[in-house]
Amino acid sequence: MNALLSALESAVSSAFIAPFFFAFLGLIPVVILLYLLKLRRTEMVISSTALWRKSLQDLTANAPFQKLRKNLLLLLQILALLLLVFALARPFLRTTGASGHSICLLIDRSASMQTREGDSARLDAAKREALAIVNDLRGGDKIMVVTFAENSNVLCELTDDRFRLRQAINSIEASDTRTKIRDALLVAHSLKLTVPDLRLIIMSDGRISDDEELGARAFDLSFVQVGESRDNAGIVSFSTRKPAGGEGECQSFILVHNESSEPLDATLTLYFDDAALAVEEVAAAPGGDHEVVFAHPDLGSGVLRAELDHDDHLAADNRAWLTLRPTAMIKTLLVSKSGSTGEYWLKRVMLLDPRVELSAIEPSDYGVTDEYDLTIFDGFAPEELPPGSVLFINSVPPAMGVEVVGTVENPPVLAKDGEHPAMRFLNPQNVGIRKAMRLALPEGSRELISSTEGALIADVSRGDRQILVVAFGIEDSDWPLKLSFPLFIQNLLAWVPRSAMAAETFIKTGRPMTIMPLPDIEAATVTSPDGARQAVQLDPMRPVFFGATERAGIYTVERGGEVEQLAVNLLDMNESSIGPADRLSVGRGEVAAERGRVRQNKELWRWLVIAGICALTVEWWVYSRRAWI
Amino acid sequence: MMREESTRSKTVLDPEFLRKLERLALAAKRVQLGVAKGERRSKRKGISVEFADYRDYVQGDDTRFVDWNIYGRLDSLFLKLFQEQEDLTVHLLIDASDSMAFGTPPKLEFACKLAAAIGYVALVGYDRVSVEAFSNARRQRMLPCRGRASAGKLFNFIGSIEPGGETNLERSCRSYVIRNRAKGVAVIMSDFFDPQGFEGCIRGLTQSRSDVYAIHILAPEEIEPELTGDLKLLDCETNAYVEISVSRALMRRYKENRDGFCEAVRRYCRARGIGHFVVPSDADIERLTLEVLRRGGMLR
Repeated sequence: MNALLSALESAVSSAFIAPFFFAFLGLIPVVILLYLLKLRRTEMVISSTALWRKSLQDLTANAPFQKLRKNLLLLLQILALLLLVFALARPFLRTTGASGHSICLLIDRSASMQTREGDSARLDAAKREALAIVNDLRGGDKIMVVTFAENSNVLCELTDDRFRLRQAINSIEASDTRTKIRDALLVAHSLKLTVPDLRLIIMSDGRISDDEELGARAFDLSFVQVGESRDNAGIVSFSTRKPAGGEGECQSFILVHNESSEPLDATLTLYFDDAALAVEEVAAAPGGDHEVVFAHPDLGSGVLRAELDHDDHLAADNRAWLTLRPTAMIKTLLVSKSGSTGEYWLKRVMLLDPRVELSAIEPSDYGVTDEYDLTIFDGFAPEELPPGSVLFINSVPPAMGVEVVGTVENPPVLAKDGEHPAMRFLNPQNVGIRKAMRLALPEGSRELISSTEGALIADVSRGDRQILVVAFGIEDSDWPLKLSFPLFIQNLLAWVPRSAMAAETFIKTGRPMTIMPLPDIEAATVTSPDGARQAVQLDPMRPVFFGATERAGIYTVERGGEVEQLAVNLLDMNESSIGPADRLSVGRGEVAAERGRVRQNKELWRWLVIAGICALTVEWWVYSRRAWI
Repeated sequence: MMREESTRSKTVLDPEFLRKLERLALAAKRVQLGVAKGERRSKRKGISVEFADYRDYVQGDDTRFVDWNIYGRLDSLFLKLFQEQEDLTVHLLIDASDSMAFGTPPKLEFACKLAAAIGYVALVGYDRVSVEAFSNARRQRMLPCRGRASAGKLFNFIGSIEPGGETNLERSCRSYVIRNRAKGVAVIMSDFFDPQGFEGCIRGLTQSRSDVYAIHILAPEEIEPELTGDLKLLDCETNAYVEISVSRALMRRYKENRDGFCEAVRRYCRARGIGHFVVPSDADIERLTLEVLRRGGMLR
């Protein structure tokens, strides 16, 4: 019984857009009641009703379908009501074509859309399908064209101008980026506020990396699946690692994924600045991965390129690049009493990071120098603030307005400023502190960790100089034993401006590239892998972002006379898995893929309303003839 | 006030019309025994100027009627018999049920005028006139009277007839026939709308062996109803109702049934030698009496 009910429910919901309007069927008893109450006959006294009664009997006895005719008015009224209720429930038929709507075409232009399908690319099939929809456009229909990949673009706002639509669709080119549909859906959502009957047609191979983020199913949505090919193998991960401590060989790690249904048998070559370093055979089962680790000496600066020699349907993922730079060392000076607890823990944590070049001196030997990027004063305050970033532990910087106004016993850790770069990913709540300084902070300071009696860690930075104050001694707490201590030091090292230069070896396609300012240089030129040059205005105060990184390869940034290379890679398992998805998850629901011509829900409510009006007209006509009781 | 007007309108006959009526006489198809001396030939032998027959003289006969000429020739006594002339009893039966109050003018008013005219004709012809208006609710009767002098009494009685109650024509007629044995001419004025049927009434009257005439009165509204819309028709006597939505088909059916009903009454009457007249209540009473009833053989 329950199965029957659920089958009925699914049948109703798959044939009607608004089945809840069936509640209006409850009006049928009202119509019957009204029908019974409706006929208020005029009373009239006559001499004898005998002749009338006989006439009536004759008439009704001779009328065909007598019983039916008696209730014809009622039947017509119920029929009209049924038709109108069905119209409200908006039944639909699945038909080909996509007319009678405002349509938002979402066209996938991610890397997987470059897949060769016969003579053309997968994207061309999507464009052909989109052009077919534009050609089917009927009067009053409007179409909007939005592309999506790493970023979404509105190519053509809602219009019925076929020329512009064709132009927009023809101008779509595939990128080397992964697929994110969320932004495109947000565009459609905002459009739906003003165009309620908006229909969404997604043309994609369904390889969408952010589909768990998609919004609720608020659309009349079709997913047109394009592409069939699964024949692809590609590099999905590429990284290189220097040995800890700077001794030994470097290792380059490459992961190759085989999406095709045939076993993979190819060669993988590692190049450094176009010179082959190593070649390795790659063999992977269908759907399997193959890991390759190349060991090589430290190569210094240059471009490391991995190339998979395999003729498959998607070429974009067969190459990957890494930019190798000489590691920018963070010169750090630790001013601490030799043999103290603070020195012990700080040294242990700092030396974990290969970027750190650590020097330690006694406070008595300290003199101001500008050769360090980061200076840590443990329980000692110099008379003059050194240049670069400074961390004061259990001491306060001179001439900054920070004053010690007393001590606090056992201060509890209450709150942290999680948005501060030095505080990311750490939880200091479980740190026990025996004794801390009570600090009076100048204006403009940030309390990073607070207690009941003021700041335990404060940021008192001035201009571009980063200065942190820790109000307690490391020996007065169990902080070094907690996870938050190494994290704090790591955050601090990442926060030091020099470290930003050292980190990136590649960025993902479509993600912005950071171009650092150089003194007295106002503009930079970026050369894309395809040779296009683009000028970028630099800001002397802060880094600028360069977003046109949709092609994978090496981007060359020229700033004055300095030339820097940056690798941009796809490296996405989802894009390399080019086999089209059969279903697209949208919110809690799933949309089944449609192949070939777009199918649409052709709504029938207009015809039902017309039929309902006809039924009412016939009812009126029948009523006006008054040929029965 | 209304009652007075209604009475007057029921009885007042135009003096000119009355003079015309004086030239008429009721036609009796059969020679009947009368009640008193009159101007109509009776089955009874009696005293008049018209010789009828001879018979043997028996002791005790009035010697004034012995035909002495026969005695002189045949030497035996014969008595001369003469045709008796007696009066004719005219029974005027008026259906005074509620249905007769219906119509424009009301059928009862028309029946009363007609009864007054026929009664006046009878009174002028030295006939006895007996009037009875009946319904289930009450019986209004005028004892037989004769002579022109009784015209006033006749008119007054007719003017006082009030409608009321249901119709049971058969019972009323049988009751009348039992109470009034005098044969003569019986005229019944009714719409014959009786739930029990009109046949019983006519059968009852024929048992009186009088000459029977049926005046079938219909209101113009019954002949040509002007109804439209959805109606609930109430029977003024039985309070039964029927709901109709007037349509052309229904009207056609009604007219067919109306004609069928009149034809059924006519056929029934003709089969029993009864004169039948269908008269609308708005008919011209003068033309009716002077032309239609004469042509129908009721008056001469």
